[in-house]
Parts: sequence; C-alpha cells; structure tokens
Amino acid sequence: MNKHSADATTAEEALAIQETLDSGMATEVAMKNTLLTPRFYTTDFDELDAIDVSHIRSEWDPLIERMLSDPNKGHFKKNDDWDQVDWDNMEPQLKKEFIDFLISSCTAEFSGCVLYKEMKRRGSNKEITQLFQLMARDEARHAGFINDALREAGVAVNLGFLTQKKKYTYFRPKFIYYATYLSEKIGYARYITIFRHLQENPQHRFHPIFKWFEEWCNDEFAHGEAFALLMKADPKLTKGINVWWIKFFLTAVYATMYIRDHQRPAFHAALGVDPDWYAHEVFTKTSKLTKQIFPITLDIENPRWKRGLANIQKANKDLADAKAKGKKFAQLTSSIRAGIAFLMLLSVPSKKHAVPSVTSLEPAY
Amino acid sequence: MGIFTREQEKVPCTVEISHKFESLHAHVRFNNGAVVHPGDEVLVEGPEIMAPFGEVVQEERNAIILRASIIERLWTRATGDFEVMELCEFSFSEEATL
Repeated sequence: MNKHSADATTAEEALAIQETLDSGMATEVAMKNTLLTPRFYTTDFDELDAIDVSHIRSEWDPLIERMLSDPNKGHFKKNDDWDQVDWDNMEPQLKKEFIDFLISSCTAEFSGCVLYKEMKRRGSNKEITQLFQLMARDEARHAGFINDALREAGVAVNLGFLTQKKKYTYFRPKFIYYATYLSEKIGYARYITIFRHLQENPQHRFHPIFKWFEEWCNDEFAHGEAFALLMKADPKLTKGINVWWIKFFLTAVYATMYIRDHQRPAFHAALGVDPDWYAHEVFTKTSKLTKQIFPITLDIENPRWKRGLANIQKANKDLADAKAKGKKFAQLTSSIRAGIAFLMLLSVPSKKHAVPSVTSLEPAY
Repeated sequence: MGIFTREQEKVPCTVEISHKFESLHAHVRFNNGAVVHPGDEVLVEGPEIMAPFGEVVQEERNAIILRASIIERLWTRATGDFEVMELCEFSFSEEATL
C-alpha cells in the first residue's frame, strides 16, 4: 500500500509522498484525499475593540475563568471506549453520509478556528482577544479529533489550501454574532439530543464518536454563552430593527437544518432517529436556550410553520433533481417555490417574551 | 490604492500548520504586520505545505496580497453579508444527494 503524506514523519517526506501522488499514482492509494476548504472573512475590528464588558462583568468573568480552566482538556483522546469500527462492512450509503457528516463537521470546526483566530489576531481589546483565543483552541481540538476519526475511515484531510488563492469577504460583527451564536446553540442541541437518544438506544450507536458528544457539546454551549454576553454588552443588538434580523437568522438556521437532515436518510435511519422528530426536539431546545438573549422565538407549533418547512424541503429536493437533469425551467420554478416557502415561514408570527436580567445558563439537557 | 485598479504586495509571512491529534489548524501571519481588507486576495507562494500527522510545521514564505480596488472593497463590504449563512454549519454538506 502507498504511504500517505499524513503518515510521513517529516515535512520533507510528506512533500515527497505528495509529489508521488500528484504524478499519477493517486488511483492506487488507499487514503482518499479531501482538501479542506474553509472560507476567510474580515469584519469591523474597530467595532470589536470597542466592546465594553464592564457592565456584564459578573457574568463575563466566571465564563472566561471556566474556559481558562479548560474542563475538556484531555477529553478528546481515544480510550477504551473507542470501539473498533468495521468500515469495510458498513452499508455504502450510510458510509457516504457518515463521512459527509465527519468532513462537514471538521470543516465547520476548522472554519470556526480560522475565524476566531483572525478576530483574536486583529483585535486589540484584551478581553475580546482572550475569548476568541480560547474558542479557537476548542475548535482546533474538535477538528483534530474528527480528523482522527476520518483517518480511520481512510480519509485524509489536506490542509494545502493555504497555497491556493483565497478571497476575504466581509461580515458585519452583528451578523457574525447572530449566526455563530445560533450555530453554537443549535450545535449543542443537536449533539445532546443524539447523545441522550443513544444512551437509551445503544444498539443504534454505529460509531464510537457519538460517545464523545456530551462533553463536546458543552464546549459549543460555552461558546454560545460567550456570544450571548457579547450581544448583551450592546443592547441595541437585540432591539428594534435587529429583532427582524434575529427572526431572519432563526428562520434561516432552522430551515437549513431541516433541509439538510432530510437529505441524509441513511444516517438518521442508522441512528434510529426520525428527522421530523429530531428537528422538533432540536428546535424546542434551541428556542428555550435562545430566550436567554433573544426577545422572540419562532412559533414552531404553528401548523403554518410545519407546512412551510415541508414545502421548502420539497422545493429544494425538486431543485436538486432539476439541476441533476439539467432542466432549466424546473430549476427556476423550484427556486421560486423555495423562496415563497421561506417567505411563508418568515410570515408566521413569532412569540415575544421578556428577556431575563441574568443571561448565563448551564447545560441542562 | 486605486479606485478601479488592483495593486499587488509581496509580504513575508509565517505559515503554521498543525496536523496533530490535539489540534488541527492552519494560519498565516504576515511578518510585517500587513492586514487584509474586504475583497483582498491572498496567495502563499511556493509548493503546498503538508504537515505529516502528529506534527506542527512552520515555514517562512512570501505571500502575495492582491489588494482590492476601492470599488471592489466597497462592493464586498456592501454585499459580503449575504454570504453570512456560511457561518452556520451544521453537520452536513449542502449536497442534495450523495
């Protein structure tokens, strides 16, 4: 078997192996090489520097202290709980979907790491840079852990993207807060829901990585707490016109999750999870958590919400089919249908509630 | 910086790639303190840098920063937000079928 560059012991050896691969022997190699493609962003770093946490000190300090104490250090290591995985006999569709899950998760952790590190490096506000440094640490650790699971499956991630041209796009800080806050909290809800489900139904645990989800999602939870406090530091971010942005992000994040989960039937069947039940569980938990800082939650029990989700998922499926078959007109009509379904979801009145004076929460699910 | 034209800068940089179990990361630091702005493009010169599993590789390289024109910078600032949903990654790629 050919050696993969990831197995080399020096950089020179790795480069040499890579060159051999590039010269046309790649077909024989057992490792499938996957280039990680994180995106690169800039933001308004002056605005980040201007964040003042002095009036939320009583919540900020304990959070930073806990992150500094690094409760999950040493957790992301394989031990006796890491069972042998029979990759060769895994049902092919499940294997495909599961590897997609691992690669996407790895890319997400990796992109988070790149973004947080950039914010750390460009900022000059000590408190903010410290927070981003701590979060970058966690993300890199998670990415390393998933990477190791991928190696077992014969997939090697390639970090060679740095020598490719990359363009920096721009996001306003508040959009980064809404988007990352929600992805961290929904990530927590997703992981803990699967973890609890597999605790009760261990026969469905087809890979040992799920055993690590409990502590893993506590990192996601803590990151979410940090973004909640960043938003609390500037009350404008959760008032007025911004409430509409919050509604937009909630709707977009929930709908995206619903669509993507429904595209991975084998994965959910293997876990013994019904994607509709799962979505509802995750939305319920996320809504409850986001009440800590958002003044609204989506009305996920509303029949129009449920219908809208089904419509947007169907439209997306039709769009993918039309694209695969090269049918231009069907692509157009299904895109329009997806757009209408999204507007329909946005039009469902949201639920208003008072935001508690104390923001910090503990992971309780 | 030109209104319509792009300028190119060559800056020395330090690339760090960690391919360790404890940490998978890759960062570029410009040694002269140069910063990138919206719409700029960055290319690290030289062959692909591969860190073998279990190691951290640091290399001194040159990077080319292709500066966006004023127009491009404004355009990226104005439109970049539309891509913000990329930050919401949850577990699966966007491929409809596998």
